[in-house]
Order: sequence, then C-alpha cells, then structure tokens
Amino acid sequence: MTLDRRQLLAGGLGLGAAAGLSACSGLTSKAGGSAPSGGASSGGKVELTFVNWSGDAEKAAFDAVIAAFEQANPDITIKTDTVPYASVQTNLDTRFQAGNPPDLFRVSYIDMGQYTSEDVLLDLSASLDANAFEPGLFSAVVANGKPYGVPHQIDTTAIIYRKDAFEAAGLTAPTTLEEAWTWEQFTDAANKLSKVTKSGQSAFIYDWQSAGAYRWLTWLFEAGGALLTPDLKGPAIDSDAGRKTVDFTSGFFKNGWVAKNSSVKSTTYPDGAFISGTVAMAFAGSFLVPGIDEGVKKKFEYAAMPQPRDVAASTDLGGNAVVAPKNGKNTEAAAKFLQYLVSEDAMRTYCRSTNELPTLKSLTSSDLEFAIRPDLMAPFVQQAKTLTPEQVAQVTVPQFADLNLALQSELEKAFLGGRSAADTTAALAEAVQKAVK
Amino acid sequence: MSQAAALAAGTSRRRRGRSLWEPSALLFVGPSVLLAVAFLIVPMLGSFFYSTQEVSPLSGETSPVGLENYRTMLGDATFVRALLNTALFTVITVPLSMGLGLALAVLMNSVLPWRRVWRTVVYLPLVISGVSVGLIGTFLYNEVIGVVNKLLLALGASGGVPWQSNGFWAFTSVVLVTLWIRVGFSMIIYLAALQAVPVELYEASALDGANGWQRFRDITVPLVGPATFFLIIMNVIYSFQVFDTIFVLTNGGPGNSTEVLGTWAYKVAFGPTRDQGYGAAIGVVIFVLTLIFTVVQWRTNRTRDEVA
Repeated sequence: MTLDRRQLLAGGLGLGAAAGLSACSGLTSKAGGSAPSGGASSGGKVELTFVNWSGDAEKAAFDAVIAAFEQANPDITIKTDTVPYASVQTNLDTRFQAGNPPDLFRVSYIDMGQYTSEDVLLDLSASLDANAFEPGLFSAVVANGKPYGVPHQIDTTAIIYRKDAFEAAGLTAPTTLEEAWTWEQFTDAANKLSKVTKSGQSAFIYDWQSAGAYRWLTWLFEAGGALLTPDLKGPAIDSDAGRKTVDFTSGFFKNGWVAKNSSVKSTTYPDGAFISGTVAMAFAGSFLVPGIDEGVKKKFEYAAMPQPRDVAASTDLGGNAVVAPKNGKNTEAAAKFLQYLVSEDAMRTYCRSTNELPTLKSLTSSDLEFAIRPDLMAPFVQQAKTLTPEQVAQVTVPQFADLNLALQSELEKAFLGGRSAADTTAALAEAVQKAVK
Repeated sequence: MSQAAALAAGTSRRRRGRSLWEPSALLFVGPSVLLAVAFLIVPMLGSFFYSTQEVSPLSGETSPVGLENYRTMLGDATFVRALLNTALFTVITVPLSMGLGLALAVLMNSVLPWRRVWRTVVYLPLVISGVSVGLIGTFLYNEVIGVVNKLLLALGASGGVPWQSNGFWAFTSVVLVTLWIRVGFSMIIYLAALQAVPVELYEASALDGANGWQRFRDITVPLVGPATFFLIIMNVIYSFQVFDTIFVLTNGGPGNSTEVLGTWAYKVAFGPTRDQGYGAAIGVVIFVLTLIFTVVQWRTNRTRDEVA
C-alpha cells in the first residue's frame, strides 16, 4: 500500500478539516454551556502523551480503546507516540533525564523492576482492585506490596506448526496441555521433521532472539530448575536441571533441528522464518498470530499446539504493563486512563483484535472470540496458566535486564561455541551472582 | 579606482600593522565554531566527565566513582575481545582498502574506457549510509537465504558458508562489506593525487629504461605520499570508530566474535544494562587510542612530507 502525493495531500486536508471541526464543536459546546463538568484535575482540557511500541494490530487496537476513552472523557485527549521496540528504553531514559517523562508508557513485565527500583512510577493502589486480576500476573506489576502499573495483557509462547510437514513426517500434534509432548517425544518429532525438510529449511525455530533470551527459562522451568534461589538473592542455575536444560537446548543446534543463524543473538525471528516457509514449527508468541496470518496468506495450512513438557509444563512471561510516572503533570487523568485500559470492555476490545491474552479473571475464564484465527488460540490460553507466581517473581526482579543479558551471552557460547553444559551453568551462576549482589 | 587603491592600501597596512585580525572574520568562523563547540567539544568533555561517574539511567544523576569504570574494563572479557577485534579489523581493513584504492586509482587514471562510470560505481557505496550498507550485507550474507550462499550452491559448492554462525566467517563478511564501502574513498583521494604527478617524470624514466613496476614504485608511490599519510589517518580513525555497519550486519555476533569498541560502548550505555558511565569510559579509550596513533603518525611523517 503506497500513497502518492495527491492522496497524502488529500489526507492531510481531511485531517486538517477534522481538527478544525472538532475545535469548532469544542467551542460551540462550551459556549452552549453543555460541556460535562471537569473530570480532570485542572478542569480544562488535558492532553496525555502515551509512549509505546506496537505492531499494526496493536496500534489499531490502542487507537480504538483510546477513541472510546476520549468519547467518555471529552476533556482528556491522548496522543500516542509509537516508537520501535528496540529503542523504547533509550527514548524513555532521555525523556526522564530531561525531566519530561511521558504521562503514560508501556513497559514489559521483565523491565518493570528497573522503574520500580528507582521509585519513579505512580502508585495505583487507589484505582486498582487486585482481586480482579489473575494473581500470578498481577504480581508482575507489584513492588513492595503496591501496584505500580496496570497489567494490560500477556502473551505466551506456544508452537505454530505446518500441517503439510507434520503429515509428511507422520506426526500427530497434541491439542491439550495434558497431551503435550515430553522432551523425548519432542526429540523424536524434531528428528522426523529434519528428515522431511529440504536444504535451507529446518525442523523449528525458537523465539529467544532479540531481547528474548529469557524465554530459554521455559525449558529450565519445564525441567524443574530455577534461575534464582527462592529468596531471589542468589543463583540456582548451576544444578542438574540447569545442566540438563543447556545440554538439551544446545542439542537443537548440534542436531541441526534449528538454523544456526537463529541463536539468541541472531536477527532471524520466528514469525519471519515461519512466513518464509523455512521452518516446520515456530515457537511464537500469540501476538505474532495476526502478522503470521497476513504473511502466510494461503500458502500452506498451519495450526497451534502446546510447548513440550518435562517434569512440568511451562511458558514465558511475555506481555506488558502500562504505567504512569509519579511526577507527571496529569497523574489524575493518567490514572483514569489506566483504570479504563484494564476495564473489562477495553481489555476485551484490545485482546480480541491483537490475539493477546487478558489478565482479568473475568476474561480469562470466558471465551474471548479472538478476531484472527481464533482456532489457534486454545494452546496459548492453556499455556498461560502454567506460570507460577514464583516463576513470575524470578523474571521481574529489578536486575532482570542484566540477567537477560547474561543469559544471552552465555547461552550463545553454548549454542554456537560448543561450550559444555557444566561450564555454561557455572558461568551463568557467576553472572547471576554478580547481577543480584 | 581611488577607492580600490585605498582599500588595497588599507588591507596591506592592516596586514603589516595588526597581524591578521579582522572583526568580520568572527562572522565567518562563528557558525562553524559554534557547531563544533556544541556538537563536538562539549559532548567530548561530557564523555570525559561521565567516564568518571556512575550515571543513574532514569534521573540522570551522577555520582563520582573515580577510575572505577576504567578498572571494570580490565576485568571485562568482552571489552578485551572488542579491543582485539578493533585492532585486527584496523590492521586488515586499512592496508587492504588503501592498496585496492591505489590500484583502482592507477587503473582509472589510465586509458580505461568508460572511466567515469567505473569511478562512480566504485565510489557509490560511500554515498549510501552505513546502516543501509549493513542491511544490504544482511541480504548478501544470510547463511540460509542469502545471495552469496545461494550463488555458491548454484556454482556447485557442497554447502553454504556459515557467515552468521561462525566467528571467522562473520568477521570476514564484515571486512568484505567494509572494503566495499571504503575502497571508493581511497580511490578518489589517490586519483586526485595522481593527477598532480607530472607526466614528464614518467616519460623521462621511461627513456632511462625504467619498467612499469619501477615507475610505480619509484615515482607514483613516493609522489602520492601526502595522500597516503592523509588516508592512513582517516582510515585508521574510521576503523577505530566503526559502528553502524557492524551493528546492523552482525550486531557483534556470533558470540563476541565481531564485537568492536564502538558497538560494545553503545550496548553498555544504551543496551539493557544502561551503564552510561562505563559506556563513556569506553568512548574515551577509543578517543585516546586514535589520538596516540594520529600523533605518532604525524611526528614520523612530517619530515617525509617536506621531502615529497
């Protein structure tokens, strides 16, 4: 879809006209004295800035939710500032350092600790009912007993697979968590898929690239291991479960199940690989489903299944909170919007059109009717329930950015450098110790 | 006429009397100086300051830590690796890009048909931004779907080259892309220098019986000496500060095998750890190393320049 100059100009004029009209209506309604009495602190019009990153579907969903909010609160307008995920942190740091943070911004759960430990976020105790949310997920926004943001959505990883490849390899996919493959069954399946894939294709891709190295913890949790000790103050990774997990996951590369250029530091992503047809299975977050649906079109048929399990089933805590800085200019209006964002209606609207999962109890227990490929969503929804509060605590410690980075650089050495499992877990334990001390 | 004479007399009197001072000069140098101060000097002094501080990523508050950031460096294996990689990268790319640049310049300076077209072709990559060149590199060197591996397979190779998952080959891909960008720059500078070499010298030496290689070695190379000097300094600085191409092409991977000082400083300061003090300290190291090299080069080459 490309716009030519004329269309752009016409669009610009249209927008200008719309802005003009809304300004007019604002004036007339004020003049007529029918403006609703001020909900915002100052009584006048308030504009909130909302910094986030979003894919196409997310952007559209945010716009829809914001439009509904603005209609209900005519004295508050929200200006979204969409920045690339890779640079969102630098963007926010700069705004904070300049003493001009946005009124609202989006934060990954794994990054929450960085903000709560600096005590820069607005305490939302007064506007949130903790009991309305899934307890494991609500704990992701809590620090020192207080919620510092709204748990907006989560996304978890499940497996998206090609039906033609499974047929060729003679595999049947499990549909429920109980039927999920064991690591042994997964090994068997990956070997079979490797035999039916052509050169340039591989059995699967795992979603640990970009800042996703922590998704390796899913395997660790499945094996019954942990990254940190229960008090979150020391490493627990140098264990039998840790070594077993490093061995098993390094095997993905040794056995040629995954492409060598899909390691933790790579820039090859699961959605891209799946769409281009180079993998039979992709471990992918549900938020990628809209993009995959659009990319694959009808080139091949695909479905979803749960991740394999070992001692336990597990998944990763993907997803994001939305927060407000405590020194913001319009904290009252910001809190109002946050409250609305996690209301049942707004969350339903948002999650339905983005294939992301809700955090409200009332929505997790009901059928959400996702807009795109709803048939794929059951494994994701089930998978989300495998996260325990203890695991959530491990990935939301303030130092998690350092831990994630350590996972990235140490795992890369095991995956591509061929370093032994024992050396890898020892190095990880050392890095963890250094980070949490 | 008289006015012009008076003006001329005025300037000459001023020149003799009050050195070169001319108030309007301020207007001419002012904008450049302002820009240099705002975007070069102040940030540079800022880096020196921040390199001795611990910077809080959100509030921007600083607390002095003395030379702690520099001590961290000594125990940071990735920093050491990045330093070695940067040195290796410089040692490989500088002579190669200059050698190829000189060879191409000599070729373009000869009777090659369509010279202007070739010249543009060689120079073109330099005009494209480093990020775009890095992106083009990722299309070429992707080991699964990249053009280079597809070409190798089509030519009958048994398997593709692991450009992304093997450290040696990843480094090679970075060097190749860098040469592709940089050769054009060396070529243009050498081409300009070559046009200043008097043709008579070649004619005279040809009469004396010097062959082509001798003429190149004894006339061309010494007479483009100042250009070589300039190119060494520019290329070394460029190699030491390399960032965009590597950041996009390999992002320092696989492992740390293509990590250089520039990418590591960026990752430390703006990556998830957001340690801006340490990042600034690495920046200062790049500055000091470049400065030392330039001063040494300047000192050792001065005399030869005068001879040339």
